[in-house]
Amino acid sequence: MTTDRLMVLDLLVSVLAAAAWVGAGAAAAARRPRTAAALMAGALVTSPARAGSVLALAGAGWWFVQEKVTIALPLLLTASVVAAVTAGPRLLAASRAASEAGRDAARSPAVVVPLLGAGYAAAAGPVQTFLLGYPAEPGSALILLAVVAGAVLLTWRAMTPRVPLLRAATAATVVAALAGGALTFLPATTAEAATPVAATAGAVAPATAEGGHDMPGHDMSTQASVPVRPVTDLRGPSAPAPGGTVRRFTLTARTATVTLSSGRKVAAWTFDGQVPGPPITAEQGDLVEVRLRNADITEGVTLHWHGYDVPSGEDGVPGLTQEAVPPGGEFVYRFVAAQTGTYWYHTHEVSDIGVRMGLYGMLVVTPRGSATTGVDLTLPVHTFAGTTVVGDHDKPVLQEVAPGTPVRLRLVDTDNTPHRFTLAGTVYRLVAVDGTDLSGPGPLSRAGLRLPAGGRYDLAFTMPSGPVVLRVDDRTEAVRLTTTANGPGHGPRHGTGNGSGNGLATDDAPGAERTAGPTARSDHPGDVTDAEDAAAAAGWPELDLTRYGTPASTPYTSRSRFDRRFTLVLDRGLALGDGLPIYAHTINGRAYPHVPTQVVAEGDLVRLTVVNRGRDTHPWHLHGHRVLVLARDGRAPTGSPLWLDTFDVRPGEVWEVAFRAANPGLWMNHCHNLSHADLGMMLHLAYEGVTTPFHGGHGG
Amino acid sequence: MRKVYAVFAGLLLAAAVVQMYLAAVGAFDKPQDDSSFAAHSMNGMLVIPVLSLVATAAAAAARAPGRLIGLTVLPVGLVVVQALIVALGGAFEDAAGNTTPLSLAILGLHALNGMAVLGVCGTVFGRARRLASAGPEQVEEGAVDGPAVRAS
Repeated sequence: MTTDRLMVLDLLVSVLAAAAWVGAGAAAAARRPRTAAALMAGALVTSPARAGSVLALAGAGWWFVQEKVTIALPLLLTASVVAAVTAGPRLLAASRAASEAGRDAARSPAVVVPLLGAGYAAAAGPVQTFLLGYPAEPGSALILLAVVAGAVLLTWRAMTPRVPLLRAATAATVVAALAGGALTFLPATTAEAATPVAATAGAVAPATAEGGHDMPGHDMSTQASVPVRPVTDLRGPSAPAPGGTVRRFTLTARTATVTLSSGRKVAAWTFDGQVPGPPITAEQGDLVEVRLRNADITEGVTLHWHGYDVPSGEDGVPGLTQEAVPPGGEFVYRFVAAQTGTYWYHTHEVSDIGVRMGLYGMLVVTPRGSATTGVDLTLPVHTFAGTTVVGDHDKPVLQEVAPGTPVRLRLVDTDNTPHRFTLAGTVYRLVAVDGTDLSGPGPLSRAGLRLPAGGRYDLAFTMPSGPVVLRVDDRTEAVRLTTTANGPGHGPRHGTGNGSGNGLATDDAPGAERTAGPTARSDHPGDVTDAEDAAAAAGWPELDLTRYGTPASTPYTSRSRFDRRFTLVLDRGLALGDGLPIYAHTINGRAYPHVPTQVVAEGDLVRLTVVNRGRDTHPWHLHGHRVLVLARDGRAPTGSPLWLDTFDVRPGEVWEVAFRAANPGLWMNHCHNLSHADLGMMLHLAYEGVTTPFHGGHGG
Repeated sequence: MRKVYAVFAGLLLAAAVVQMYLAAVGAFDKPQDDSSFAAHSMNGMLVIPVLSLVATAAAAAARAPGRLIGLTVLPVGLVVVQALIVALGGAFEDAAGNTTPLSLAILGLHALNGMAVLGVCGTVFGRARRLASAGPEQVEEGAVDGPAVRAS
């Protein structure tokens, strides 16, 4: 059973146990001893069963059971034993008696109080999991225990005026609650005082590597050897690399009404009045210079280069690397186009709304001197005014392509949630992920490609003699490529699609039938798929990226010696947000801005473990660095090395990734479901000695 | 103290009504995504449980009958069931994350259980008001030696 299923099963068992105990207590109080006995029997089955489900879940990692093993399970089992021993015999006797006396006996405090008490103890488990989340800390545990104890005392007092040691027990409960409250809220205030990257501190407050408590007042003199420099000094060069040219762009952010391909008009926030914004293209080694102007976006705007490892001062994070550009203002970004591939840019100020409303565009860098041959389409998929659009098309992108033409489709997910793509009508290769070429990408057909929010896939193939259709989420036809000669679905498909000399030929496919494939019938395994059969495409299994392509050497592996290790456990729970308690998307139990900053030194090899014990998918995105995937759920990739800037951590998954800290600065490290980021799921990663002159309290 | 209890029971009922309203806001929001239900989940997981617990403490301090105290804390349990229904439904979605007939059959229970929360809150408010208008002299007594512990 998968970890996310186990998490749900465990919750189900815990709720059933609580319901059975409370039900037994309520039935006893209502003088129904037989019902109470039956419910108690159910509780005595489900309560130990919970131990089993927790044990099974523990196999996925300590993070998934920490609060259960330390608090919920001991509480449940203890209360169950007490209830079974004290209430059990009396209840059995009462249910056998089946008389008025027996009914009255069931209502005695010695029966009702232990049963309801076990119910409160059992309910504490799911309440803790849902409302508090990971991790259980002494403070919240004490409060929880005090609430359970208080409820027991209250029940007891309501049943009879003679409760032994009532005053002492009440006092102990109050003390526990007060101590819990102090432990929970006092550290939070000191954390606030040490808000990471504080504007005036002049240096970044460091934090413990494993997400422990802040260490306010850390003595920066121990790092005296590290030069202190502001992030505003970490800017791009003013000249291109040798052989490169300067590419100048001006983007003006303004509100506008855009017209989609169907003629539908939508109010949007745009760069230069269009959605997506003007594409920024360069050849490797060029200097890209983008002048950002803000006409009338009152919230302010910045440019963040998603996946592009620009100098920190060019990263476009308001309050951290620059101030947001107000209406009438401007900011000039400069960076050398060192990486080739498919990237995108978007605003990082009020980014959830801003990106959703259209403040994004494409950034594509091609190798120097590579003549563009064939068809190269950049396809940002976005949910715009409730409609799935590709670029500005709310109707399929139609294009005629001559058979034999090399085709490259650059898929970009600019939404908050993942999209599933299928490509029908051709065999193709997934040649690059997040801008980085894969090693030995094999031919693909009948595959669903799940693209995380913010991620990019480059697909390459040679145009066959029949139509090729790209679908999004098995519903929306996004792109339809037709041949100039044939109408859709007519005639046999010829193997002439294997163009020569473009490196994209399909003739090294492991299945020989894939190479010739002169038939269009979709019921032959390995054949080119039928472009028209949308229902079949919906059933195609999802490609597992960790098993695709061929292994290749990497500069470091999971066996390397790591200088820093960080663990991020993602969950939901009540946490202090920016001033107010919120039902947050939490990192190690905390919400931004109270998540301790991760501090690294330049040159460190850093290992990052991201655990999702919540019920939502979290596309994890670290600015300024690409990460190498070491393992997912403990299994190392068996295919191509995966260098990603955005990876989907689904419920129950554990990702281990690594990166070399080689791009000094102050960086956001956050969930790219920007609505989750707004609810606390972000933190900073800071290099020792780098400071910010800005307020530092906001990441957009 | 009984008036205080009635006030919190009223706030609890109001929060439950607002919760229904926010559910509809989320359902009709376009584009539909996680943030569509942000207010709904904030109210449901923060406001309603806290109000329910505070009202329960007030009920105890007001010496309300045990059954009524139990009813007042019941929304917390039902809220956990609400979250469980969502989690359980999610576990039966297909590999692409789309709903299936089974997951929808489970997720639909979220509305029924939500009506149960509303019903319980309505009952609690009605009884709390009757309690408040019952006898003022008892109110004083309850306020004096009601267990202060509940304020925690």
